[in-house]
Formats: sequence, C-alpha cells, structure tokens
Amino acid sequence: MGSSAKKKKEKKKDFQKTKLKVGKARPKNTNATDTSFASKSIVFKQQNLTESARDSATLAAHNLSLLGSKNETQRKDALIFFTSLCADHEETMAVSPTVIAGKAMPLVLDGSAQVRTQLLKLLRALSTRGDLGAVVDQLLLYARAGMAHLSSEIRLSSLDVLNWMLEGENALAVVSSAGGWIKTLRTFQNLLSWHGEVLTGNAGGKWSTSKSTSNLGSSKLLVHQLTTLSRFLHVGLVRPSLQEEAEAAAQRAAALFPLWHTDAHLLPTKSNPFGYLNLFGAVRDVESEVYEDAEQRAEIFVELGVYAACVRGAKEARKEAGEVGRAAALVEKALKLVDGG
Amino acid sequence: MKRKRSALEKVDADLPNLQHKIRSDPPSYENEFLNQHAQYASLLELFLQSPTTTDDTGIVRLRDLIDFVSHVADCYRATTAGFAGDLTALLQRHHETLEAELRDKIVGSLVLLRRKEIIDSHALLQTLWPLLVSTHSKALRELLFTKILSDLRTANAKTTNHKLNREMQTTCFNLVSGDPASSKGLWAVKLTRELWKRQVWTDAKAVSVMEAAALSQDAKVVTGGVRFFLGGDQEREEAADEDSDEEDGLDMRQLRHQAGINKKTAKRDRELKAAAAKVKRKEKKKKAPHPLNFSALHLLHDPQTFAEKLFQLHLQPAQPKVKLNLEQKLLVLQLVSRLVGLHKLTLLPLYSYFIKFLSPRQPSVTSFLASLAQGTHNLVPPDVLEPLVQKIANEFVSEAAAAEVASAGLNAIREMCARQPLAMSETLLQDLVQYRKSKDKGVQMAARGLLSLYREVGAGMLRKRDRGRDSTLKLRSGDMEAHRRFGFVEDGGIEGLELLEKWKEEQGVEDEEEDEAKGWENWDAQSDSSESSGGWVNVESDGEDIDVSDSEEEREKAAAAKKQKAKTEEVKDSDKENVAATAPQDDNTDAKTPDPSRNTASLEPEAALKREEARISKLATTRILTPADLAKLHELRTAAAVTSALPATKRRKLQQAAQQAARHGDDALTSADIEGLASLSHKASKEEKIRMARGERVDGVQTEKNDHRSTTARRKEKKASEGKSTTNREKARKKNFLMTLGKAKRKGKRSLVEHRKVLKAHVERGKKGGRRGNK
Repeated sequence: MGSSAKKKKEKKKDFQKTKLKVGKARPKNTNATDTSFASKSIVFKQQNLTESARDSATLAAHNLSLLGSKNETQRKDALIFFTSLCADHEETMAVSPTVIAGKAMPLVLDGSAQVRTQLLKLLRALSTRGDLGAVVDQLLLYARAGMAHLSSEIRLSSLDVLNWMLEGENALAVVSSAGGWIKTLRTFQNLLSWHGEVLTGNAGGKWSTSKSTSNLGSSKLLVHQLTTLSRFLHVGLVRPSLQEEAEAAAQRAAALFPLWHTDAHLLPTKSNPFGYLNLFGAVRDVESEVYEDAEQRAEIFVELGVYAACVRGAKEARKEAGEVGRAAALVEKALKLVDGG
Repeated sequence: MKRKRSALEKVDADLPNLQHKIRSDPPSYENEFLNQHAQYASLLELFLQSPTTTDDTGIVRLRDLIDFVSHVADCYRATTAGFAGDLTALLQRHHETLEAELRDKIVGSLVLLRRKEIIDSHALLQTLWPLLVSTHSKALRELLFTKILSDLRTANAKTTNHKLNREMQTTCFNLVSGDPASSKGLWAVKLTRELWKRQVWTDAKAVSVMEAAALSQDAKVVTGGVRFFLGGDQEREEAADEDSDEEDGLDMRQLRHQAGINKKTAKRDRELKAAAAKVKRKEKKKKAPHPLNFSALHLLHDPQTFAEKLFQLHLQPAQPKVKLNLEQKLLVLQLVSRLVGLHKLTLLPLYSYFIKFLSPRQPSVTSFLASLAQGTHNLVPPDVLEPLVQKIANEFVSEAAAAEVASAGLNAIREMCARQPLAMSETLLQDLVQYRKSKDKGVQMAARGLLSLYREVGAGMLRKRDRGRDSTLKLRSGDMEAHRRFGFVEDGGIEGLELLEKWKEEQGVEDEEEDEAKGWENWDAQSDSSESSGGWVNVESDGEDIDVSDSEEEREKAAAAKKQKAKTEEVKDSDKENVAATAPQDDNTDAKTPDPSRNTASLEPEAALKREEARISKLATTRILTPADLAKLHELRTAAAVTSALPATKRRKLQQAAQQAARHGDDALTSADIEGLASLSHKASKEEKIRMARGERVDGVQTEKNDHRSTTARRKEKKASEGKSTTNREKARKKNFLMTLGKAKRKGKRSLVEHRKVLKAHVERGKKGGRRGNK
C-alpha cells in the first residue's frame, strides 16, 4: 500500500505497457540475464617443445607416415631419417625393415629425383639390417611400372632399383617370383622395341621397325637398359654347377649323419616358401607363373619366342658403335647361357 | 594438388598429350602405348594385392592409366582384349572397398568401352545391374542407375533392341518375384517405370514386372508397382507432351539473317546447316504419327486374377503379410477398384469390404467413396450394391449432416448409380432427390445431378412431377423403358452416320469405288511411300473386282454405277422402296378400318423411319468407312451440334452431357470428383481469396495466374517476347501533333506527281479498308 507519490508512481510503472518504437531495439525484459562473456585466443609458436622426449617408436611411426606426405622435402627427410637409423648399428630398429621398405616402395614412382635417389640409398641400407625377401615381388612390380614410365628420369632410377635387386642376395628371388621372369622380360622387350617378328604392327613387315622415339638423343638410357637386361638374364639363366652342389650336399649329409632329409624338417630359409603353389591367389597364366630353376626359365624363355627376339635385337644393337655396342655384347653373352653354357 | 602439378611439369608424364597423339596416329605410337599398358598392368597387380589402399601416391595414378587405356582401347584391340574383363573383375570384387573416385572412373570407363563397342550392352548391364542391387553406397547406386538407364535408351534409340529388352525385363522380373519379401525389387520397379515413361518399354512384359511388384511383400515395392499402374501412363503422356513442347528457341529466320550479316566462316556455315537439319528433324518428328501405345492397365495378362490376388493379399486379411499404412492401402484399393471398373471384373468381396469404411469420420473417406464408385459397373449384382448405397445415404445424407458431407455422399451415390442404375431403390431415390431444395449450393447441385441422371436412365423410378418433359414424352412414346433390366446392353451404332449418308446423297456421288479409293489416299502416307517405293508395284487385276457386299441391292447398285446406268437403276430402287413402304401401310389399313386418313398420317413417318433404319444399317455393314469419310462424319456431327438452335439452357445441358461423355473410360475417378462443389458451400476466408487471386487453389496447387493488366500492356508484352518493337505506323500515329504541322503546311505546294501519288494512295487505302487495314 504505497502512500507517497513516488511509490504510487513506481507501482504504476510496473503495469504500464512498454512502448515499442519503429527502428529502435526492443527494450530488454526486466528479468533478462546477461550471458555475454569475453574471450581471448592464445597462439603457440611451437606446438611440441620436447623433441628429445619422444621415444624412437613414435618417431619412427611419425616418419613412416611422413613417407606418404604431400611435401617432397618431408618425404626425403623421412627417407634420410630411416637411412641414418639403419646406419646406426647400436640402436635396435623399432620398425622392421620389411615394413619400412613396404611403405617406401611407392616412392619408386615419385616425381622428385632427390626422393628417388634417397630411396635407393635407403634400400641399400635396409638390406644390411635384414632380409627384404618378403617384399621383393612387390618391389619388382614397382620397378617394372617405373621402367615403363612416361618420364625418362623415373625409368633410369627404377633401372637402378632393379640393378640393386639383382646385385643383392635376393637376386634369385627376383627371377623366381610370380611373373618375375617373363613379365620383366616382356617389359624389356617393350622398352627396347625388340619385338622380333611377333609384333607386326606395320603393314606386312615391309618396313623397318621404328626405334622407340624416347630413346632418340641419349644413348645413356639405352645402355643402362641393356646392361640391366644382361645382368637380369645372367641371374636368371646361370645354373649352379651340379658337381659343387652334389659335393656340398654330401658334406652336409655326412655332418648330420643319422638324420635324413634334414632340410625338409627345418624352418624354411626363404620367405613364402610355398608361394609357387599359389594356394590363395588368382589363377596364373603363363606369364605370371613361377619359374623356380634356371632350367625351366630357359625353357619358357625359348618357348615364348622372347629368346629369338632378344638375339635378333642384340645383334642389331651390337652394330651400333661405342657403349651401346659393348652393352649389347654383354647381352649376347648372357643369352648364350640358354644353351646351358 | 599443387605438388602434383609441379611434378608433372618437371617430368613429361603427360598422358592426355600422349592420348591425343595416339588418336591421330595409332601405329606410330604403339610402343609408347605398350609401355603405358605394361605400367597399368603392374599398377593393377600392385593394387590387387591391397585393394583398400589409395593409389594417390605417385604422379601417375591407376585411375589416370585406366582412363587413358579406355580412351585408346579401340586403337589396339588385340593388346587390350582383357582390359574390360580386368575392370569388371575389379569392380565386382572390390566395389565395396574401392576409393570412390577410382570406382566411378571404372564405371565410366566401362561405359566408354561400351560406346566404343568393345563390349556390348549385355556385358555392361550384366556387370552394372548386380552392383546396383547389392552395393551400399548411395552415390554409386545413383551413378549406376543413370548409366544403366542411358545405356538402355541408347540401345533402343534407333530401333527397338528386343533381345536386350527381353533380357533386362527377365532380370527385373526375377529380381522382383524371386524374393518377394526383399526391398531390392525397388530398383526393378524404378527402372521399369522410367523406361515406361520414356516409351522405351511399352510391352506386356514390362507390365508383368510391375504386376509382380504389386504382389510382392515389401511395402515400398508394392506402392511402387501400384503407383505405376495408377499414374504411369499419365506420366508417359506428360513426358511425351514435354518432348514435343520443348522448343530450344531455334529461329531459322533469325539465324539466316545473322548469317547474312556476320562474317562468313566455314564454322558458322556448318552451324547454320546443323541448325537447319535439326529444325527439319524436329518438324518431321512433329508430323510423324502418334505412337499407338496401350496403357498398362490394358496390357495386363489376366486382370481378374491380378485384382483378386491384390485384394486377397493386401486388403482382405486382418493381418496382412505386408504392413501398409492407410495411404498405401488406399492406393491399392484404388488400383483394385480401377481394374474392376475398367475390365468389368466380378469381385464380390470387394463391396462388402467397403462397408466398414463408409462413415463421415473415416479419414480420407472421399477417396474410399471414389474407389467404390470406380469399382462399380453394370454387371455388378444390384443387391450387392444396394446396402452400400443405403449406408451412404444414411450416414452422409441427412439434414443433420454438414453440407459438405451431404454433397459428398450425394455425389458418390450419383457416380455409383451412373454405372449401375439398378443399385437404387425407388423410395430412396425419391427421398434423395428432395435435397435439390436444400439451401446449400453444393448439396443442391449434387441432388440435381442425381435427378438428371435418373431422368435419363430410370425415369420410371422418379415421381411423376420430377420426371421432366423429355423423359415423360419418351416414356409415353415407349422410347424409354420405365425400368431397366440387369445386364441389358444397348446396341451400339455409329453416331451421325445418317448425316453422312444424307450428305453423300446430296453430293450425288456416283462412282462409289472411285470415291472410296480417293478416301484412302494420303492415309498413312509416310510409311506407305517409303515401303512401297522399295520395288513393289501395284498390279491391277484384269478381271472383275471382288464384290464383298452381301445385299443384292447393293451389288446391283455397284454394277449399275460401273456401267453408268445410274438413272434407270435408281428408278428401280425407288420403286422397290415404295413397294416396301406401302406394304405395311396396307396391312395397317386392313386391320384398322375406321379412320384411315388419320392412321395413314401417323403411320407414314413410322414407315419412313423403318426404311431409313434399314438403309443406314446397310451403309455401316456394307462399306468400310474411309478416313475421309470419318473426317467428314466428325465435321457433320459438330456442324449439327452447332446449328441446332436450342434455347440456352438446353444447349448448356447438352454441353454438360458432352463433357461427361468426353471423360475417357480409362480415366480414374478421384476424390476431387466426389467432393465436387463442396467448396461452394463454405464462404472463402480472406486468405483463401488472396490465394485464389494469386492463382493458387485452396490446396496449394498452382493454377493459371490471373492477369489483371490491360489489353494494351499484354499486347505489348507479347510483342516484346517476339522480339519486336513498335511499327512505323504506330510511331506515326503517336507522333507529336506540332511536329506534323510542317508537312501539312506544304500541302498546297505539292507537285502534280506528288499529288497523283497521294490520290492513288487514297484510292488504294479505300480498297484495303482504311489505314490500319480491315483485317
């Protein structure tokens, strides 16, 4: 019960309608709560300050993921990291060489030259730390893809990779992997355009077959291809001398005298020992079949007509002077192994 | 992305460039292609070892290579023989795990190979169709569906590819009927509907796919199938109309004009020619005869069994295998009743099924009423329908019911009775007719509709004063029976045939055969000319024409026409007719002697009528009406309808009747028909009025917009849309008066030649009918 004028006025004010005006903001309710707040953003200059505190496993995992990075320097740095890791013999590897090789393999087809050379270095280093037999067939696929690449630089570097594979202890695994023999030979055939009489794309074969246009200008690639081919043929066709083998077997049998067929009961020494059975894969054709020993390889080599084409091609190439001729002579020499020489 | 571009610049890994080179000279670049193919092969092998990885690492990706190889595959068929098989296998085995872009690329490449005719449609569809049905990816499904559809369309573009169609239809049918409970059949339904709409599939086999879909056990498939039967044909017509309406604004005149002005180049010349060819093609298409396509409802193999199965599967059981909601149930009901009505099937349990739904509280009861009316036909026993009519009358039509309810009920009863007039009892009819005195407009109109219906079909059931003049007269003269009998079918005739006969007589056509031959001319000219010019020569036989007419008279007539002895024959004929006419007359005069003069007067027209009838039936049965005859018949009929000078009310009535008749038997009866004029009975609110003015109906459907502008403004807009501005005459008319004064002043100073010109122009103008022409 207000009695004074002021109180009456106040009371009256409560029941008055607030006037809304056009173009003005609506007056706030008396019971409105202010929910506004202020905020401020903080910027870190470095996201991770403790580089040293990382353990080797996370570092390796991080670098492993960097192998697939979009940035080429990052990829190269990751490769360098792993190379140095391999070189450091005291440290145990957190990741197995096979995993690293598997992740790094696609870089055979990388666009940057630095990355590719670094990759070769890494592969060399990795082979010192462990057996890479498990990834040979995949690596061979990449090498083959690289050899047929549009860019000649990538062709060169992938030939280097193939060379390295043929040098190492897994050389035999290369030629005896699924499709490793015939398909690679076919790739070489395409590269050198040694089709013999099989491919008569030109009408009637009246015209001389044209040289691959990409070989024009530089014979460096051609020489490289020829030398790699000769090495490849050599690895694939050379037969272990029977006498030595027999002697070694006799010695071994003598050492382990009471046991018979010891090797059959031991753990297999190479990876995927029953791969040639192809239990789980798709059905293989002639080209992608596994050819275990040199005998078989020589046989199929002749049978598919690749041999004839190679002989013919090498003969042609030998007529060229200089390095090409010399490399072709090497190929011819390797081709003679077919007869079991 | 940036990295890749820079990498591509550094190395010359330019597949598109190589592709272009190969296209122009395949043998020279064979080596390069072989290299790329080898690379593709090794990448594919790598990919197959771990299909889940993305191949986004190198500068050349697998999908680029796939794209490249598929583009030039037609140049090296021997090398790429296994390419399509590789892609198919990749897609079939790994479509769930493939990266989306690569997957789409593979699908696109397969279609490309089909276009290059490296694989055939059959192989493509055999690959894509199972994927469409089995994949979980929505994007892939959409892609596959469009690809399948477009492939089927292109395969059928020039001629119908019956083999492929049959195969695909069988696949669809097997999908739907093989596992009725699965929802996979929806894809078959979708495909069939789309192809039906585009008139690619128009045969009974496609309909049988939909039949199977309607009888399946998945709600979506069922509705898809049912909707097809209810709306598929309409959709097809609309699509056809759209196609013909589609004008892409090719104005030949304008193009030619532009060609005259612009610089002449070979390219522009080619473009003009292409445009001309296109216009010509379109014109030809427009003139081509309308393809005769049967509606889906008519292509059903066994409608009786189909309707029975639909009813027993979806509607009758209390616990059906498929749970359908009310809307879906209504659709099925609509289809069943449509089938029953259209094919006059006997499905007695359908009518008792309706009973429980006939109450004003039932949701969407007007649809139920429409279905009921639609399912009624003249071979339904009236005692099955009578309780339904009674129930509608009791539930809907009463003084207490709302006006809309009453009018809906009356309309439903009218629609039912129009199909089976015997469903109504006399007392009920007389009661219902009383509602024409109602205050409400909608009820009034509905009751009047019922009344006018029974004046025609069963005037005997109406009270005497309700019968109306025409019906009473007809009843008295015996033209109309007071009560119809069940199953009675009126014998049909050709409407207006007597007019044609009369016209022929007036024309005095003498050589009938020649006339007939002329009538067949230009009929189906396009197809005929192309075929007959292929070496077939019409050889006329030397002997007598084969005479097929049965009647002796007609044969005589024909012979007479040939021998040009028309006159004598006609005399003979008329003698005969006179004899025929007088014969009954004589009989009558023998029987009723008392007042011969009056009798002959009344009997004379009767006899004439009989004679007329005899002759008319002859015309229809002895001659095949030529297209020219039919056109004339139509013309005469319309002329007769127009010239009959009737009072306005009668004319309106006739028009209404014509409208009713024009409603095609295939058209469905909708709930809108049942609601009828109910909208008249309630006052429109302000919002509704505004909406109507805007050109929207109450239910939100757009109608034609009201144009409130002046005639001038509309005309101006029309001109502008045609790309025209004002004419010179218009400008002259609008010219400021003061500006014309100078010229007028000079009038006196004109030379004789000028004056002569003016005078001549004046005379000329008089002939034309004024300055603006009397057009």
